[in-house]
Amino acid sequence: MTKKELKKYFDILEISPEATLMEIRSAYSRLKKLYSTDSVVISPIEDEFSIEERQKILEQIEDAYTKLMEQVKESQDRLVHHERPFAAGHNTMEGEEASISYSGQVLRQIREKMGIELFEVSLDTKIRVELLENIEQERFDDLPPEVYLKGHIINYANYLLLDSQKAAADYIARYRAWEKANKEEK
Amino acid sequence: MSSVIAEKEGKIWAVGGGKGGTGKTFLASSIGIYLAKSEKRVILIDVDIGGANLHSLLGISRPKKCLTNFFETGTSLSRLAVKTGIENMSLITGDVHSLASDNIRFTQKLKLFRHIMKLNKQYVIIDLGGGSHNNTIDTFLMADKKIAVLEPEIIAIENMYHFVKNALFRKIRMSLRSYGFKEIVEHMWEQREKYQIKSLKELIDSLKDSFSYIGDILDRELADFRIYLVLNKIRSSQDILIGSSMKSIFNKYLGIDAKFVGYIEYDDVVWRSIRERRPLMLNYSLSRVAKEIGVFTENLLYEREMKISRI
Ligand SMILES: Nc1ncnc2c1ncn2[C@@H]1O[C@H](COP(=O)(O)OP(=O)(O)OP(=O)(O)O)[C@@H](O)[C@H]1O
Ligand SMILES: [Mg+2]
Repeated sequence: MTKKELKKYFDILEISPEATLMEIRSAYSRLKKLYSTDSVVISPIEDEFSIEERQKILEQIEDAYTKLMEQVKESQDRLVHHERPFAAGHNTMEGEEASISYSGQVLRQIREKMGIELFEVSLDTKIRVELLENIEQERFDDLPPEVYLKGHIINYANYLLLDSQKAAADYIARYRAWEKANKEEK
Repeated sequence: MSSVIAEKEGKIWAVGGGKGGTGKTFLASSIGIYLAKSEKRVILIDVDIGGANLHSLLGISRPKKCLTNFFETGTSLSRLAVKTGIENMSLITGDVHSLASDNIRFTQKLKLFRHIMKLNKQYVIIDLGGGSHNNTIDTFLMADKKIAVLEPEIIAIENMYHFVKNALFRKIRMSLRSYGFKEIVEHMWEQREKYQIKSLKELIDSLKDSFSYIGDILDRELADFRIYLVLNKIRSSQDILIGSSMKSIFNKYLGIDAKFVGYIEYDDVVWRSIRERRPLMLNYSLSRVAKEIGVFTENLLYEREMKISRI
């Protein structure tokens, strides 16, 4: 996608090209709501614009959002697979596997790269900030049972546009390893 | 945007918006006081045709000198300015006749604008009053920052939309007139059904499509046509959405840039301060309303926008 095209999509969503992921998402849902319902703000233009025109605007919004999300996803993939900025650290399970293993630390680094604050994640995913913090810090002691934890990881990874199944598998594996080590100690 | 830019240019701010009673005068005076308190030199100009009352909100009596003296005897603006009792801030009042409909000739109006622009060492805050009289619109168009005050209420929304639309149409006509293309616009607009033009944005687009030189002119002339939206008297956080929706409507249907710079909640402290004849920005400077005014004035200064990431 060219710079110009990108700019056009940001313009349609009425945000600056520096917008964070969350800003893109909320602009999209705000605009979609505005043009698909009968907001009072629509009233001055009601007689000027037909339903078809509103439909056209809605399609443009939809298109811009899809395109921008694809773009975000692409740069996300580049980040994860090629640059491997997070490869250092405790990459225990996968060994030499090309792709990254999602630890709490990796999740945090990806989130920070995207310029998203924990409270923002929390607003969208409805996962409490403390819980997110515990996940990122791998304070396994304070995490909920595995079945719940898995749901949270999938939810969080989805939000970061990651392969959520893999993220959950990686993370849960780390959790189990900790659990096992813990039992042996006792 | 750096503060240097804001300090250098864009010092003439007009506060309008169409509907009466939305809080234009209250906000114009409050913006003025906020700037004056931040050590900027401010001159308030009240050009409300029907009811100049800025002085009352500042708690001073009606000045004897007014804009009529400027038109009739050529008294300079700086000599018309009276003290407001607030350091760094003075006031020039209009009166019922000064800018009233046909009492002022076009050339006189231009002269006034020229003189206002010369006051550029200080911030000039103009209270436009309501309505969309041509003089009101022209003053709005002359300003560096076009501030439009809205309330979350359907009549205010409709009036503002039409006020801004009129202003934009007038701006287009005036711009093209000075290049000798006035007839083209008027012809196209009158025959808009034939040309399948349904909105001002479509008019602009088809003008640009049909005549590339007109496109260049309009791009240049409309480049700084930007509306700064202020939403007053909100009663719930849901109301804030109206500001961003209005911005979107301006963008999608009129094709113009609007910045939603801030909101002020509805609070009885406003009328209390007016009744006590002591400006809220001084007497209730710790109130939420005063803080909200500070926030949007800063946004105006530095070309920032409200963060409306989630409501
Ligand atoms: N945020 C607010 N909360 C409560 N009351 C407010 C607020 N802002 C303005 N008001 C009230 O609204 C009334 C109108 O305010 P103001 O005179 O500033 O409006 P205006 O737009 O200048 O009106 P006009 O169009 O008549 O010039 C005043 O009585 C004021 O007390
Ligand atoms: Mg007023």
